[in-house]
Amino acid sequence: MNLNYELSEQDQLAARLAVGERIHYCVPADLSLEGKRTLGYFVVGKEKWAYIQNGELIESCRIADACDYNVVPLIGNAILEATQDHTKRLIVRISMQHVARFAYIAQILNYMAEGSKIRIYNNETEMVCPRCGGGLLPGTRLCPKCMNKAAVLKRLLDVSKSHWKKLSLGLFILFLTLVVALTGPYFQKLLVNSSLQPQPGESPSLSLFFLAIFGMLFGLAAGELLNVAKGRVMATVSSTIAADLRKLVYDKIQSLSLGFLTSQRAGDLMNRIMADTGRIQHLIQEIFTTAIYQFIMLVSVTFLLLNTDWKLALIVLVPAPLVAYLQITIWRRVLNRLFRKQWQVNDKANSYLHDVLSGIRVVKMFGKESREIKRFRQYNSEYAAAAVHAEKIYSILAPVSTYLLQLGTYFVLLVGCHMILKGTLNLGELVQFTGYASMIFGPLAWLMNMPRWIANAVIAIDRVFSVIDEEPEILDTKHSVKHSIHGNVQFCGVTFGYKSYEPVLKNLNFEIKPGEMIGLVGHSGSGKSTLINLVSRFYDVNEGEILIDGMDIRKIQQEDLRSQIGVVLQETLLFSGSIIENIRYSKPEATMEEVIQAAKIANAHDFIIQLPDGYDTKLEENGNNLSGGERQRITIARAVLHNPRILILDEATASLDIDTESVIQEALQRIMKSRTTIAIAHRLSTLRNADRLLVLEKGKIAEIGTHRELMQRKGIYYNLTMAQRNIG
Amino acid sequence: MVKVESTLCSQEIVEKKTDLSEAARIHYLTPENTEFALTEGKLLSVRVDGELYPVVYLHCSFPHSNKRMFISVRTSENQEVGMVKSLDEFPVDIVRLLDEQIHMRYFAPIITKVINIHEEFGYSYWEAETTAGHLQFTVRRGGGNVKMVSSVKVLITDLDGNRFLIEDVNQLSEKEYRMVEMSL
Ligand SMILES: Nc1ncnc2c1ncn2[C@@H]1O[C@H](COP(=O)(O)OP(=O)(O)OP(=O)(O)O)[C@@H](O)[C@H]1O
Ligand SMILES: [Mg+2]
Repeated sequence: MNLNYELSEQDQLAARLAVGERIHYCVPADLSLEGKRTLGYFVVGKEKWAYIQNGELIESCRIADACDYNVVPLIGNAILEATQDHTKRLIVRISMQHVARFAYIAQILNYMAEGSKIRIYNNETEMVCPRCGGGLLPGTRLCPKCMNKAAVLKRLLDVSKSHWKKLSLGLFILFLTLVVALTGPYFQKLLVNSSLQPQPGESPSLSLFFLAIFGMLFGLAAGELLNVAKGRVMATVSSTIAADLRKLVYDKIQSLSLGFLTSQRAGDLMNRIMADTGRIQHLIQEIFTTAIYQFIMLVSVTFLLLNTDWKLALIVLVPAPLVAYLQITIWRRVLNRLFRKQWQVNDKANSYLHDVLSGIRVVKMFGKESREIKRFRQYNSEYAAAAVHAEKIYSILAPVSTYLLQLGTYFVLLVGCHMILKGTLNLGELVQFTGYASMIFGPLAWLMNMPRWIANAVIAIDRVFSVIDEEPEILDTKHSVKHSIHGNVQFCGVTFGYKSYEPVLKNLNFEIKPGEMIGLVGHSGSGKSTLINLVSRFYDVNEGEILIDGMDIRKIQQEDLRSQIGVVLQETLLFSGSIIENIRYSKPEATMEEVIQAAKIANAHDFIIQLPDGYDTKLEENGNNLSGGERQRITIARAVLHNPRILILDEATASLDIDTESVIQEALQRIMKSRTTIAIAHRLSTLRNADRLLVLEKGKIAEIGTHRELMQRKGIYYNLTMAQRNIG
Repeated sequence: MVKVESTLCSQEIVEKKTDLSEAARIHYLTPENTEFALTEGKLLSVRVDGELYPVVYLHCSFPHSNKRMFISVRTSENQEVGMVKSLDEFPVDIVRLLDEQIHMRYFAPIITKVINIHEEFGYSYWEAETTAGHLQFTVRRGGGNVKMVSSVKVLITDLDGNRFLIEDVNQLSEKEYRMVEMSL
């Protein structure tokens, strides 16, 4: 992270004057107290800090005069505070862009104020684009300069490449169709000129007549057959390509961090997987069946027209580019926006539907059905309105431009008849010409329709690839290794926040020995779940490291790591499917016996066996047809079957009565002998078997020790225990 | 008959309300029991019923729908000192002081003119005139980064977490509105 910005000469002068010759740190402080963005800088020298703005010193002060330098994140901005003369004071105000930087600066100032050595791991490098060296979008690996649409279309081609055999078959059929179609007008001319109105001096030829008739017939039949074949080939190719894409998106989503996924709505992601890839499929199909065909048609017909009579050809062709240009402008300016809007409304309605349906219990519980119906109606009519609006504009624009094109035919007949009367053109040629001319309107009119689906498809590609291009924040590197976990877990100076400037866990240091059971206690929101998320490496620490058997977990392959950690989460998550499938999820190859053993340990066997369908009982979405405690026991069985080296229980037995809980506890104790367990519980009796207890308070370790030690200390743990005893 | 019923109803409502307030026990700060002051270090301090809180922060209950009502006064340890029901209960100079503090905490420059919004690959690039000056910022699509927070107000959160407001979408020009609408 850059903590040493370049100052302008003027600023530098002022800064040196204020803090001394050597400037140790210099970062932008870009917000004035009045709320204006400024080009201010916060400069740290040997003994003083200074706030410089436009070459002027605003304020400066000795660093040691204050203590507790601290960045306070407000909403949409932040301030650097310190305690001076026993009261808090404000030092500078900054925009969110530099909050992380100031978090470092605050630490540095604290070290300087204490006069101790500056221990700062400033290894948070600011990423630059590997291609152009420019800055990346914060929090992503995307360079705004190096992204472009053409590149994305090329990506689409790359995806399609693996199906080149089928694609070229499709293209071959397409060419055949084209050739067959182009013979039509030629046979028409033959028909007219050889038998209907032979040239002066020639007699009607019956054989040519039959040849022409047969040729036309053959053209029609073959054309249709080829069309069918082409459609079939392209349908299979495009759907396999779409399936490939869907898989790409799906795989990507699986590999993305929890952080990214929780920031997206499930409905949004679903849409990207299903609807958008569907649109891309349509695009590919259109390109290979229609677009290429129409394009070649356009070129060859133009050539044939010019060849027949260039003057007539010009009459047809001149208005065409004008109309095409009109179309493109319309597409860019109006339709793109209209259709995009229509989609967004559609997406919104879908996500809303998803939300309401999955929360239907709450809706019913409060009797709010009619309100939800009203809301959905509103979304629905919004969508309808957007669709009608878009279609309305489209329906006005489309006929106008088609009409412009048709005007060409009128002029051809006008000029053509005149030429026949003058004798410079014969009837057959006019027939052939109008035949070709009518073929040019097809492609042109179609080109006009193109904006519609291209608009849709480009947006779809854009949305799909924006997921595919998302870089997982948590990456395996080349050096990641497999490691068979023994069970030692060590936190060394771990600091972590979901946003790096707002630490949830602060400088945690502790070690868990192999086979130990650790109870994690603390108030709600103190960071317990966060801590175990770090052990499973759902997030990477901001500072410090987590060691498993002395090895940094960032050096262990994620899949390998997680396959050895069993987690039962606070919220139970079951899939729709049978109970056995759900238990087996963690180990698909488990035998029936193993499943039953796991269920037995989790104390789930007894209730499952009572069900009419036993282990084959189908669970509804998230196991809604079971009780909360039953669901929890199934998730415990799932974790146990997994046979993890480290077991993590986050309020895993909270919905169970004390008796059931103690039975499970006892069984777990047996299986987890010699395995590391981290258990979180608010009900402290749950943790009575724990070897040691770790009390978290506001992200820091407040107490650590055995039950007896902590009781003697009469601290937080003691108070919690006493409070619960009193209730009991 | 009808009359009796309606009075009964309203009585019930009143009673329910007091039930709730009884249970919630909100401590309201009024000009009589509270003295706000700006510290030398440009922060806010408050003395309530004789007890001094050297630094307090103001948290709005409804930062979007009404900034002037139900303001929670909290210490840096996030303890609630009390609630200000409405700013208007306080004298003008105190209101100005509190207003400043609220604006400091809830910082969102107001977009006065949208110059350009260019959208690509899941990010939109904004250029706008705001009350904080001419700004360019990048917004990630989806995830509620551009959202309506009232029937006319739009809140935009950029990649860093800076927030911007469009006070009234209906005041935008046709062209601006179309650009903004696309990002919603
Ligand atoms: N995904 C997230 N994004 C941002 N902040 C989060 C996220 N998850 C948790 N937090 C915040 O981190 C803090 C600690 O949360 P955590 O879930 O670790 O608490 P906890 O100790 O498990 O509480 P509980 O006992 O209620 O489960 C909370 O202030 C919470 O708001
Ligand atoms: Mg939790």
